[in-house]
Amino acid sequence: MDVQKVLSGAAAACGPSGQEMLVAEYFAEQFRPYVDEVTVDKMFNVIAHKKGAGPKVMLCAHQDEISLMVTRIEDDGSIRMGTVGGVDPRILPASRVWVHGREKLFGTIGALPPHLMSAEDRSRNYAMKELYVDVGLCAEKVRELVQIGDLITFNVPSTSLLNGQFAAKTMDDRSCVVMMLCAAEFLKKLVCDADVYFVATCQEEVGSQGATTAAFNIDPDIAIALDGDFAKQPGCSPDATMPMDAAVVSVGPYLQPKLTKRLQECAKNHGIKLNVMVAPRATWTDADAVGLARAGVPGILLSLPMKYMHTTVETIDVNTLREAARLLAHYVSELDAGWEEDLWI
Amino acid sequence: MDLKTMTEINAPAGYEQPLRRYLLEQLKAIGMEPVIDRMGNVVVVKEGTGENRKRVMVSAHMDEVGFIVTGATEEGFLKVQSLGGVDPRVIISKRVQVGDDKLPGVIGAAPIHLQSAADRKRVLGYGDVYVDIGAADKKEAEAKAPKGTPVCFDTPYVEYGEGYICAKALDDRVGCYNIFRLLAREEQFPCDLVAVFSSEEEVGCRGAKGAAFAQAPDIGIALEGTTCNDLGDVPDPLKVCVTGEGVAVSFGDNSSLVNRNLFRHTLKIAQEQGVRHQVKGSVSGGNEGGVMQRSRQGIPTIVLSVPCRYIHSPSTVCKASDVEDQFELARALLMSL
Amino acid sequence: MFDMLKKVLAPIGPSGMEEPVAAVIREELKDYVDTMETDALGNLICIKQGKGENPRKIMFSAHMDHIGFVVTGIEKEGYLRVTNVGGVGLKVAQTRHIVFPNGVNGVVVSEPVEGSSMMKHMFVDIGAQDKEDALKMVQLGDMAVYAPDCFRLGEHRVGSPAMDDRCACALLVKLMQTIGDTKDTVIALFSVQEEVGCRGAKVASFAKEPDIGIALDVTGWGDTPGTTQPEIKLGEGAAVKVMDRGSISNPQLREELLECGKLAGVKTQREVLPYGGTDASSMQTSRGGIPVCTISIPCRYVHSACEVIDMRDMDAALKLLQTYLAK
Repeated sequence: MDVQKVLSGAAAACGPSGQEMLVAEYFAEQFRPYVDEVTVDKMFNVIAHKKGAGPKVMLCAHQDEISLMVTRIEDDGSIRMGTVGGVDPRILPASRVWVHGREKLFGTIGALPPHLMSAEDRSRNYAMKELYVDVGLCAEKVRELVQIGDLITFNVPSTSLLNGQFAAKTMDDRSCVVMMLCAAEFLKKLVCDADVYFVATCQEEVGSQGATTAAFNIDPDIAIALDGDFAKQPGCSPDATMPMDAAVVSVGPYLQPKLTKRLQECAKNHGIKLNVMVAPRATWTDADAVGLARAGVPGILLSLPMKYMHTTVETIDVNTLREAARLLAHYVSELDAGWEEDLWI
Repeated sequence: MDLKTMTEINAPAGYEQPLRRYLLEQLKAIGMEPVIDRMGNVVVVKEGTGENRKRVMVSAHMDEVGFIVTGATEEGFLKVQSLGGVDPRVIISKRVQVGDDKLPGVIGAAPIHLQSAADRKRVLGYGDVYVDIGAADKKEAEAKAPKGTPVCFDTPYVEYGEGYICAKALDDRVGCYNIFRLLAREEQFPCDLVAVFSSEEEVGCRGAKGAAFAQAPDIGIALEGTTCNDLGDVPDPLKVCVTGEGVAVSFGDNSSLVNRNLFRHTLKIAQEQGVRHQVKGSVSGGNEGGVMQRSRQGIPTIVLSVPCRYIHSPSTVCKASDVEDQFELARALLMSL
Repeated sequence: MFDMLKKVLAPIGPSGMEEPVAAVIREELKDYVDTMETDALGNLICIKQGKGENPRKIMFSAHMDHIGFVVTGIEKEGYLRVTNVGGVGLKVAQTRHIVFPNGVNGVVVSEPVEGSSMMKHMFVDIGAQDKEDALKMVQLGDMAVYAPDCFRLGEHRVGSPAMDDRCACALLVKLMQTIGDTKDTVIALFSVQEEVGCRGAKVASFAKEPDIGIALDVTGWGDTPGTTQPEIKLGEGAAVKVMDRGSISNPQLREELLECGKLAGVKTQREVLPYGGTDASSMQTSRGGIPVCTISIPCRYVHSACEVIDMRDMDAALKLLQTYLAK
C-alpha cells in the first residue's frame, strides 16, 4: 500500500462530524481488499469485518474532521461561520476553504487588515466573530447558493516533508484509520483466529457518538482504540508530548492492564518501539465510549504522535504509522481463545 | 506572461532572482533590452515620440513578503523572521516553500487542547513559530536550510467567485504584469517610458530609491497593490477602497503626498477615457511613490493601485477587472504626458 | 392550538416531578392512540400502530419537565437556600415568583454582592417566620418552578415561563390528535428530565427501539436588539436543526423534513445553534444508533420566566410534521 497516497486521498475527502458520507465511502473502498465484508451503518461508521472463530476484537479510529459551518450571510456577501468540533481560530485568517453550498465554492477567510486596527487589537488574536469567508460573490448570489448550516471544510493539499514526515489536515484521526488499513493488509500474511472488526467511527470530535453505537452493535470482547496524541513540538510542555518516532500506549484506569501489558510484550517480541503515556482519568478518545458499551468492553488505547493537532498541517511520521500497524497485526493475530484467563487477577 | 505564473514565482524581498530571471527572459522575447541596475532593479526604456518629451518612470516592485531563516532549534525546527510586514496571525497552519529548491514546509502551532485561556488570546510572534521541514535535528535543518534561506508561502493561484483572484504576491505582481503589458504593446507613447521592476520594496523601497536617482525621471508613477477592507460589514466611510470599483488613485499616504496637479490630471484623464477608478480613502501604508517623490530635486508622483484584500497574507485577493483598470489608466496617463 | 397550549402550560412540573403534566396529556390523548404507558422514570409513551407493511417506528419526543430550583437548606430565619435544577440563569431569576407543587409561593432573591451573584448568594423568601415555620411548608429536596403563566403578546405571540418545552408538548398532542391512520408506527414520547441531561429520552428510546428519532423542542433567537445569533427569527417558521452542541442531525432526514415544509407550504428556517442540546442527542446514540433531527420552535428569552414564541411557527411545525407522516 502506498501509505502517503492513501493518506492524501483520506485527507482530501469531505467528512465533518455527523456528515461523514463521502469519507466513509472512501474508506469503505480502501478496506474492501483486506476483509470479508464492509458496511457503512446508519451513523456513517465504516465497519470492515474480517471473519474469524476467535475472540471478537474491535479496532477503531475516527474518520470525522473538525470543520466550520455557515451561520450567517452578511449583506456584503461575506459568510460568518461557527465550528464543528474544536477548531482553533488562530489557524483561520488567510486559510482557504470549500463552502459546500448548492455548488462547491472556493473561499478564503478574511478579517480586518492589521494596518487598520488599533495597536491593542493587533496584539490579540482574531475572534471567530471577526472572521468571515470571502467567496467573491455578491450577497444576492451567495444567498442563492449558500444556506445556513452548509458545511465549510479546509482546502489544503497535503505535504510530504523530510524523513517520511507527512503534513495534512485530518491526520487526527484519519492517519489512524490508515493505520488500521495497513494492519489489515499486514494481517493477511499472518495466521489469525480473531474475529476482527475495523471501524472508522463518526462524530468523535463532538462526543464519540459513532464509537458508542458501533460498539453496541458489534458487542466486541476486546476494544483497541486508535487516536492521535501530541508530539514533541515547540511551544508545548515536554511533559504533555511524546517523540514522533514511536507509537504510544496509554496506561490508566480506563484501560485494561493485562491487555495493555500484552501489547507492550508484543512490541518487544517483534522489535517495535513503543512509548508509554499515563492517562490518569478519561482518555478523551473513542476508548472511553467503547469501554462502556453494553456490559463493558476491556480495551487498550494506542496513539500516533502528531504535531500541530487541530490545525490543517497535522504532521505524522509515516514510518511510525507503519510500525504501529505491524504491531497491531501481530497483537491481533496472537489473541487466542485463552485471552480472558486471569484477565483481572 | 500571465498573473498565475507571475504570482507562483517565489521572490521575497532581497531574493528576487527567480522573478528577475523570468522577467529578463520575457522582456527579451518581446524585443526589449532590459538592464539590471546596481540595486537589482530590472529597467527597460521604451522611447517616446514627442519632442522635448518627458521621462516618465513607471515602477512596480518585484518582491513579495515572506520569511528568512534565522537558525534552527536542536530538534530541527527552522526559526524565521518576516521579510516585509507579515502579520504573524495569518501564518499559523500554512504551507510554505523553503529556499530555491522549494523544499516543502509547514508552520504549526500548539494544539488547542494544550492552550490555556491566555494562550488563546496571545498572538504567536516570530519568536514562537517555526517552520517544520521534517528535519531530524539541527544538523539536518542547517544543511537543508542554512541561515539566510528565503521562505515563501505555498499557495497556488486560484480564480473564483465573480472575477476574483486569490494568490500570494498579488502585491505587487499585478503592477509588474501591467508594466510588462505597457511595454509589450506596439503603440508608442509621447513620453519616454522608463519601466522599473524594482527590488526590495517590502523592506523600505530600496530598489526604487536607487532607480529614481539613476533614471532621474520628470514624473513618477507607481503601480501598486493596496490594502482593501471592503468585506465583513465594514461601514462605508471606513472602507479604504472597494474591489471591482476600479483602480484606486491615491491622494497621499504615509510616504508621499501626491502632486496635486498630477492627481487632478489623472482623475481628468480617467473620466475622459471612461476608466473605472476610485480615490483611495485612507492615508495608510507607504510605497515607492514616496521615494520617487523625494529623489534628487523632487519628482511629481502618482500612485495607481489595485485594491487587494488580505494583503501581505498567503491568500491575497483582488478583482481581475481592477487589474485591467490599472492598466487602462496607466496607459491613458502615459498617452497624455 | 392556543387552547391546547394553555392546558399544558398550567401544571407544575420540575425535572423529575413531571406527573402533573403527564396527567393532562393522558386525558387529551386517550382517544387517539393505541397504547399509552408510563415507564419507570415517568416518561409518558403513547403509541399509534402503523398500518403499512413493515412499518418503521418513528419516535417524536417533547419533554415535559421545566427548569427550577431545589431546596438545599433552610436558614434559621426561615429563608430557603436553593440550587438550580437545569440551566437557570441567575440574572433573570432575581425577584421572580416561584411556586412549589403543594402551592407554596416564593420569591427568588440575591444577597447584595459586588459583581455577579452566584447560586450561593441566592435565597428564596417564602414568608416563613423561622425555620420551623418554613419546614411546615417545604422540605429539603422540594422543587419549585417559575409560577405558571400564559399571556398574549401582540397578535401572534405568547409568553410563559414553561414554553420550553410545553409548547412542543402541545404540538405533539395536536399532531397525535390530527394524523389519523399512518403507514409508520408513531411513538409520541413525552419525556422527563431533559433539562438535566436528556435522561428520559435515553431510556425510552432504548426500550422502544425506534428507527428514526425527531425531537420537538424550542431553540434560541437572533432577532432582538444586540442579539444576532443564531440566525433564527420568530414568526419565520419552524426551525429544522442542522446541529447544536448535543447532536448533529442526520443530513438526509434534515433535508427530507425541510422538503416536507416546502410541500406543506409553510415557512422553515435552518438552525445552527452554538449551544444547547435536545432529546435528539439521547435518541441518536441509543443502542446501535439511529438517524435523528430536531424540529424547533423559535423562542425568545429561553430559560427565563418569560419565554416567548410565535403561534405561526407552531402551526408551521404542525403542518410540516403532518406532511412528514402522511408521506
